[in-house]
Amino acid sequence: MNQLIHKQENKTELAAQDQLRQYLTFRAGNENLAISILDVKEIIEINTITDVPMTPEYIRGVINLRGNVVPVIDLSARLGRQSSEITKRSCIVLVQVEYNEDAQLLGMLVDAVDEILEIPEANIMPPPDFGADIRTDFIQSMGRVGDEFIILLNINRVLSIKELSQLKQVAEYEGGNTNKETSFTALN
Amino acid sequence: MSDMNPALETFSQEVDELLTAMEEALLGLEGAPDDADCINSIFRAMHTIKGSSGLFGFDDVVAFTHEAETVLDRVRNGERLIDAELISVLLACKDHTAQLIQHVLFNEGEPLPEALQQQNQALIVRLTGAPAAGGMPSTQEEKADHFEVDPNTSNSSDNWVISLAFKKDALRNGMDPLSFIRYLQTLGKIIEVIITMPALPRIEDMVPEDCYLNFKIAFNSSADKKTIEDVFEFAEDDCDIHILPPNSRQEHYVQLLANLPEDQVKRLGEMLVEIGALTEKEVANTLHEQREDDDAEAKPLGERLVEKNILQQPVIEQALKKQEAVKQKINKESNYIRVDAAKLGYLINLVGELVISGAAMRLMVDKHGLSDVDDVASTMSHLVEDIRDTALQLRMVQIGETFTRFQRVVHDVSKELGKQIQLQITGGESELDKTVVEKINDPLTHLVRNSLDHGIESPEVRVRAGKPEKGTIQLNAYHDSGRIVIQISDDGKGLDPERIVAKAIAKGLIKPDQVLSKSEIYSLIFEPGLSTKEEASNLSGRGVGMDVVKRNIEALRGSVSVDSELGQGTSVTIHLPLTLAIIDGFMVEAQQERYIIPLSMVEECVEMNSDEWQIDDVQHYVNLRGQVLPYLRLGDFFHNNKKHTRTQRESLVVVRFGEAKAGFVVDELHGENQTVIKPLGKLFENLDGIGGATVLGSGDVALILDVQGLIHHAKKRANPALALLSGV
Repeated sequence: MNQLIHKQENKTELAAQDQLRQYLTFRAGNENLAISILDVKEIIEINTITDVPMTPEYIRGVINLRGNVVPVIDLSARLGRQSSEITKRSCIVLVQVEYNEDAQLLGMLVDAVDEILEIPEANIMPPPDFGADIRTDFIQSMGRVGDEFIILLNINRVLSIKELSQLKQVAEYEGGNTNKETSFTALN
Repeated sequence: MSDMNPALETFSQEVDELLTAMEEALLGLEGAPDDADCINSIFRAMHTIKGSSGLFGFDDVVAFTHEAETVLDRVRNGERLIDAELISVLLACKDHTAQLIQHVLFNEGEPLPEALQQQNQALIVRLTGAPAAGGMPSTQEEKADHFEVDPNTSNSSDNWVISLAFKKDALRNGMDPLSFIRYLQTLGKIIEVIITMPALPRIEDMVPEDCYLNFKIAFNSSADKKTIEDVFEFAEDDCDIHILPPNSRQEHYVQLLANLPEDQVKRLGEMLVEIGALTEKEVANTLHEQREDDDAEAKPLGERLVEKNILQQPVIEQALKKQEAVKQKINKESNYIRVDAAKLGYLINLVGELVISGAAMRLMVDKHGLSDVDDVASTMSHLVEDIRDTALQLRMVQIGETFTRFQRVVHDVSKELGKQIQLQITGGESELDKTVVEKINDPLTHLVRNSLDHGIESPEVRVRAGKPEKGTIQLNAYHDSGRIVIQISDDGKGLDPERIVAKAIAKGLIKPDQVLSKSEIYSLIFEPGLSTKEEASNLSGRGVGMDVVKRNIEALRGSVSVDSELGQGTSVTIHLPLTLAIIDGFMVEAQQERYIIPLSMVEECVEMNSDEWQIDDVQHYVNLRGQVLPYLRLGDFFHNNKKHTRTQRESLVVVRFGEAKAGFVVDELHGENQTVIKPLGKLFENLDGIGGATVLGSGDVALILDVQGLIHHAKKRANPALALLSGV
């Protein structure tokens, strides 16, 4: 769905080349990253995160968002880096992802939220084919801001429910007791 | 004939309705073969169709429905038993009748096509067990335009007296008085017919198309009043009809009145209709008249009925007496309100929030030590608890309705497979949440179909095995420690452990040298890709199904297990929570995280103390009063890569699920609380051992343990070779 919408947007933007798009920039694992402002539902401070056992590192836990239980993903860990330390500047960015035509609200733990940037369409480049240490399918495009490039994340890939919920079992066994799971995976 | 068209249209509509009602009733009979209402409704359908068809001269339909009616009458009188065979024949009869009607309506006057004729004969043979007597019965011969009056039957007092006063336009509207009277003969014997012509004008004023005839018929029949009245159903607009029951019926009616159940206060008219002394039309007409002359002396219904010669005095008296008796017995009636399910859902959500904020308030009160608020707070907690229970109760429905739906499945499928199978339902009154009921339907269908297809053998095989020819599938439900248990069992051939093992090895699910217990082997059938039937049928056997069943049930926080005896049958047991919304929970703490264990599963809590119990810390079991109890240290289990500080006093929570017990070692006990279940969402749907989450009074989230899943998971970790086995 979202991709479809993006496609449509891209088309209209071709017509108006100078149109600006807004991105929320934040830091996770010593890296400057951004997502389209349209994907962001809300940004909240961190209260208590309840740990969910038997899940991989990047599933940080669940929080109570006005009576609803919302999972929180540690973005840094998800991108293959260290898991984040919670500091004063840590925030949870709430985004909505589609899964089987259902919308699921997810929290994304980041080290700090910086600003909202306007990047002209002309300054947005396709992602590099290789070289980046983030999985290429996570990167939607690269945005040039001044002299620097900033990675614009494809939120539906980074927070793909399908992938997150499947990887879990495997990751658990990799992270957990390493001596016994081989036969289990073989059975699967 | 164009004048007849509106009448034919009514006829066709009526037949449609009747046949639909008949099908419903037939299917209802599968569940309750003795249901008199259903039998009556089927009989009524056939009977009315026969009657109406007779009026239009559709002899083929009359002939056929007559046979069906005869059989049904015997059923009604208890001379013939309703069995699956008869029901299926009657279903076919229903379809056949529909075809016949279609034929006569659209190909008027043409003879029946060959195919329909043959079907006709075949069905009659199946119905009666004997070929139909040569040619069409009764009506054919009575086609002659005269009818015999038997002068020998002379005790006229014991006859129905039917007065028919046709209106002028009767003939013009397509009514043929003769056809009614001819048809009446199929119900009994016409003793005497007196024709009067009170309104006959002089011959020169006579209009040939007007009807001037009135009939008074003495009629001897065992049919009831409604049946007789139905004969004239099509004429009611063009004819004043009065039917006075014979004197012998009086006693019968009085008797029936005395036997009426005393569960409801009924109006006089209703009671008389129920016992058959009056028909609804008569009541409606009389009441209408009563309303019209609203002068001072509006007479009560009973008096009017006697006056109009519809009923005899003693019957009315008895009815009035009965009415009074019932009135005294019952003062209140039960009331139902239909409510939108969404509204109920909203209410329950609100109650959930109320429970959470109630807990928050409790927390505040305790924190600030306000003793005078304490009392108020306690009272409110109790009220909230009551509201919660009541709100949840609102959504409880009996599982019986879900069960009875399988009657048709069993009926159809067993016919299709050429097997004889009956479905027995017990415990249909057990209640559970409507949302659970809706979701259990699919898994149940799978399991029932499995039993039908794989479980029950063909009749020949069964006889050879020394079992009754007819297989039985049982659906049973009962409550057990806060959960509902649903069992689907059959007396079929059972599961063959050797074949399951062979198949599982072939599919690579287990290793050839693995030694498995019986229950472990049976649990293998819930694994994807394992189906022991060599050839797939269109019902089951493709090896999808059982694993889906298991997944669906586990999604409801339930569990499923199977037991079987080769050659004796299979029994699948499903445990389900009663509700998906709010439960009584027991809160524990391990490694600074709080967890909720469903209270219904908690057996006891003891101190984890090696002075008292013999504890084996390597094998993880404790000798609890002579019982070996395996235990799980929750903190270690959940965070096995972190360093732990053991608190001085640990507790052991003993949980029970089904037959088995296990222990959880926790750091702290926080006691009971009301737990509003919040779903964890798609992200965690593959997570074993955690059933959901809840929001605590403090605003923090606590996880709800899925005890069974957790134990299963622990087994997996401890012994991956047994990873498949969910049996305990």
